[in-house]
Amino acid sequence: MKPLFLISVMTLNLLITPTAVSENIGHSDAHSHQDVSANESDSSHDVHHHQSHSVHPVESESDATEPDGQATLTRTDEIDRALAAGGAPIVADVLGVVCDFCAIAMNKIFGDQPEVAAVYVDLDTKALSLVLSPSSSLSDAAIADLAVQAGYRIAAIRRDEAALGVAL
Amino acid sequence: MSRLVGTVALLLLSLNSNISTARPVSYTGGVTLIEESDRQSTSLLVHFTPAHQWSIGLRGEHNRDQDYALYTLHPTWLAKRWFGANHQGNLYLHGGVGVATGVNGNPLGEDIAAHGGVMADWETRSLFASYRSRYLDAGHFGAQFVHAARAGFAPYIGKTGDLHTWLMLEIDHRPSERISMTATPLIRFFKGPVLLELGYTFSVNQPLINFTYRL
Repeated sequence: MKPLFLISVMTLNLLITPTAVSENIGHSDAHSHQDVSANESDSSHDVHHHQSHSVHPVESESDATEPDGQATLTRTDEIDRALAAGGAPIVADVLGVVCDFCAIAMNKIFGDQPEVAAVYVDLDTKALSLVLSPSSSLSDAAIADLAVQAGYRIAAIRRDEAALGVAL
Repeated sequence: MSRLVGTVALLLLSLNSNISTARPVSYTGGVTLIEESDRQSTSLLVHFTPAHQWSIGLRGEHNRDQDYALYTLHPTWLAKRWFGANHQGNLYLHGGVGVATGVNGNPLGEDIAAHGGVMADWETRSLFASYRSRYLDAGHFGAQFVHAARAGFAPYIGKTGDLHTWLMLEIDHRPSERISMTATPLIRFFKGPVLLELGYTFSVNQPLINFTYRL
């Protein structure tokens, strides 16, 4: 039994291969502000919605966060395709996301929505990245409700330029 | 019919008290398969989550020490979830009612069985702690109380979809057993929908093999 155990451990450790793609497409110099600092948020149901108003593309970053720590859209092939098709980007900060089961739950629930063209949960930024189908909409309340169905809670929502991390 | 169900369940359990340790409530509409094998028994639970605060499952469990099997309807209620930007905590209540039946020539026949307990966990991306307990009344097969605590850490932090690895130590206490308290070091591998735990309880020379698949 012991040799089998050790062989299993060594084999599985060889499978460690980082795969996630986290890439930011810009900075914001007119940051929107959110209130995620309340670490214990089980009694808070507020969802904060932020949106900036113009775009100044700048160079990429290696992680999907703004300099002030706000998560921006995590870029995957699926998300890039949905953006290219004209979908609107949304980033939601999610409380309690600590493992892949959390990510799977969010992916399943949001991925089943006809309004959602692409979805990705980034464990590093604890953010849910969504791109809507062209001409579709999804309200903050609907996003919060879907997160509850997945077992989690939304702390803040950013859309469009604020979600992309680009602004004035 | 019950013999057929028993045979099928025992085949499924042929891989090893047993309380589901990995997220016993899923997302709304989710289905989860959980196999657990410890120093005394092997179980298989398939549960469905109709709403985010509870799940209902079918459970089969083979007590290898006492040669009986349990088949129960197994509901779990997520009584409370604590959310933080970097952590999550959960409190679950679970139960079950069904039948216990002798296996491997056990002449005791069948009896009604019921179990219930609590489970709590708290984790970040690098730290984990949990506690779980269960009281089982298996009719003339006897009653048993089991509780266990776990602590662990992740030696590295992986990204979404990576292989995540945890090193853990579980202490379990079974007052009715000859060796009532044991320690089981284990390693947890977690990738996507699959969770695998491999450990060994040295004091009783028994492996721990837990597997979870979330659909």
